[in-house]
Amino acid sequence: MTVEEIRGVVAGNNEINRFPIGMRVLAVDDDPTCLKLLDGLLRKCQYQVTTTNQAITALKMLKENRNRFDLVISDVYMPDMDGFKLLELVGLEMDLPVIMLSGNSDPKLVMKGITHGACDYLVKPVRLEELRNIWQHVIRRKVESKPQSKSNNNHEKSNQGNEGGDQNVKLNRKRKDEDEDVEENGHESDDDPSSQKKPRVVWSIDLHRKFVAAVNQLGDEKAVPRRILDLMNVDGLTRENVASHLQKYRLYIKRISHQANMVAAFGGSKDASSYMRMSPLEGLGDFRILSSSGRLSNAAYAPSGILGRLNSATGVTLHSLMAPPLVQPNHTQNKLQPVNHQNMNLFQEIPSSFDQCSNKPNTQLTDFSSIEESRIFTGNKLVDFNSIDESRMFTGSNPLMDPSVGLGSKSLKLSSTGSESFNLLSSSSNFLDQNGNQPPNFSSNQLPVGGNYGYSATVKGGICSNITTTDTIPLEAHGGGLVDEIVQNVNNQSLSNQKNGQYSKQDYSQYSQNAFSTLASLALASGGGGGLSGPLSHGGLNGGTSALFKTEMPSLEMKMRSSEDGLVVNNGYGSLDGLMTGMMKREQEARMIVDGEFGYDSYAFGPCA
Amino acid sequence: MDQNHMKKQINSARNSLFQQGYLDEQFIQLEDLQDDANPNFVEEIVTLFYSDSTRLIRNIETALDNYPLDFCKLDDYMHQFKGSSSSIGAKKVKDECSQFQECCKARNTEGCIGIFRQVKHEHATLKRKLETYFQVSPSNSLENRHTLQRNTQLCAAD
Repeated sequence: MTVEEIRGVVAGNNEINRFPIGMRVLAVDDDPTCLKLLDGLLRKCQYQVTTTNQAITALKMLKENRNRFDLVISDVYMPDMDGFKLLELVGLEMDLPVIMLSGNSDPKLVMKGITHGACDYLVKPVRLEELRNIWQHVIRRKVESKPQSKSNNNHEKSNQGNEGGDQNVKLNRKRKDEDEDVEENGHESDDDPSSQKKPRVVWSIDLHRKFVAAVNQLGDEKAVPRRILDLMNVDGLTRENVASHLQKYRLYIKRISHQANMVAAFGGSKDASSYMRMSPLEGLGDFRILSSSGRLSNAAYAPSGILGRLNSATGVTLHSLMAPPLVQPNHTQNKLQPVNHQNMNLFQEIPSSFDQCSNKPNTQLTDFSSIEESRIFTGNKLVDFNSIDESRMFTGSNPLMDPSVGLGSKSLKLSSTGSESFNLLSSSSNFLDQNGNQPPNFSSNQLPVGGNYGYSATVKGGICSNITTTDTIPLEAHGGGLVDEIVQNVNNQSLSNQKNGQYSKQDYSQYSQNAFSTLASLALASGGGGGLSGPLSHGGLNGGTSALFKTEMPSLEMKMRSSEDGLVVNNGYGSLDGLMTGMMKREQEARMIVDGEFGYDSYAFGPCA
Repeated sequence: MDQNHMKKQINSARNSLFQQGYLDEQFIQLEDLQDDANPNFVEEIVTLFYSDSTRLIRNIETALDNYPLDFCKLDDYMHQFKGSSSSIGAKKVKDECSQFQECCKARNTEGCIGIFRQVKHEHATLKRKLETYFQVSPSNSLENRHTLQRNTQLCAAD
């Protein structure tokens, strides 16, 4: 997509070539003085400004016509509606970049903004220079969504006549997902004709699994989009979809390895824990989930939803990264293909690390980082993971995480990290396989916070399993179907949550042994709306945990992507609560350590402990 | 000459406001926003601030009359008040607001009451000074600015 195209898309009819001039901004602030100032400043930047002092009015305007605005700036403290709530609704429903504004520069609030999906956080009094650059958030979103939406759009168009579920997004969805799919699809379709932003391809777990399988089969060098597409043999998927997905996947893998390295290097910093203690999220369903996960990790850190959110991608990733230490080194269950052997080790280690985590918050992280992430991803250990002393891990977890509730209510939504993260997981494994290196080579230097990558990390087996095993989440449950259900839930959750800002908790309990993989999937799935579209086939968990993860990741990534701009993936940490939280937290920590780029840096990951 | 003299007076009045800490650089931002499209921007926004802040002050006063003090609410009110004060560059007012918030955090009843009196005092003082300032400074329309410039040149030539 050329810059001009983007500009044209963004700027609307009249200002095509003059963007950011004429960018349409909606400013919301209950304080008339601040609003007037904002108005003046924005006009000085030559933006097209609409102001309102009521959040409700703003929402109404946005709902009437999503395309009327390019960017929203909103105060945090407003009498008629919490700014974060507005942020969520706008960011998730309308996929518009939202900038938060507040007189309070407390990092906790900033973090909260990030987790809720803000693409920026400004402190009053706002200065002109700060406003001059806000157009970047609009462009960024356009750039990110353009290629995919384009292909997706084409794809969708071609699928108009097909049965409802037969879109790449909906590929391989189980019945439970169908509702979600329909909703998601509908959502996308609605967006399609009217919005400039085309709906993205949602990489369901299944889809991602196929993708990863194809990539693995082809080998790193030969894994070109065209061939992958052929191997996947999925209706409606375009080469472009695969290409962009592949790119993300690769980046993710890189990031993971880098991160793993970083985490190892970091070694037990206490910061993560303190970060973890950051203010809990309020009122977000998914946040609660996240908190739950916090519990998993021994609530060393505050189960704030923020963590969950942020971590959705990263957190998860990190978490997963962290997990490895817990895995018993000798406990490899090589369910996954041989190639994943290395990965398995990772998992094995996870349990041990978890245990340790419970006792020493930060130390584990370090250990974890050194663990080969790939192993985590392998998910073979998932099963083993379950054997980990989850209770330990999750003790002291977040009150939000209600074990009793967990089962049914826990939404699996892991964070919308989206498929990308998931991809990374799977790709990591592959990645590793190909390189024959296990260890901290994941080196993704950054767990994309918003990105999907982060997510994948967590999903990677080890972590997921840890989380799942937590006491809070009764893993019991369904057998193979768990994953699916969870995934579905997650996805569903993501979707619905996105709209409502709440992620229903999926049955955590479903996570049974295989939950590990499921969790991974879930984590991925929770990525948020349509993150994981298909339930991870539970059955496949053991053997195909990694696969599951993979599938999930994509969806998570997708989600994450959307949140890249700062939109926190509320998606769906829900069910995976413990898992995700733990994962995310770790991820975050790892992320924080490793990659300052993630917005979630401030998240302190608390180690399990 | 007269205009030059007046201009100097205006400038010194303005400068003293800055020097004495009543205003900070945010006020300059307001001035920058004033142009032909918004010739009275500064005065308008200051007026808006004072009418809105009166309401806030009343709320705080009411809250301060209810014992035991609801520090959370007070903090919220003050947060808003501080936000708008900082938006117009009312430095002293803003600083007092911060102090008030500290007292709220410390749950210091006496402190809150005392500080709030200072807040009101600074608020009123600044209002007086700005009113004077606006009276003497001409509206920053293009015409006026040109006149001022011409006069300055003429004066300089003298």
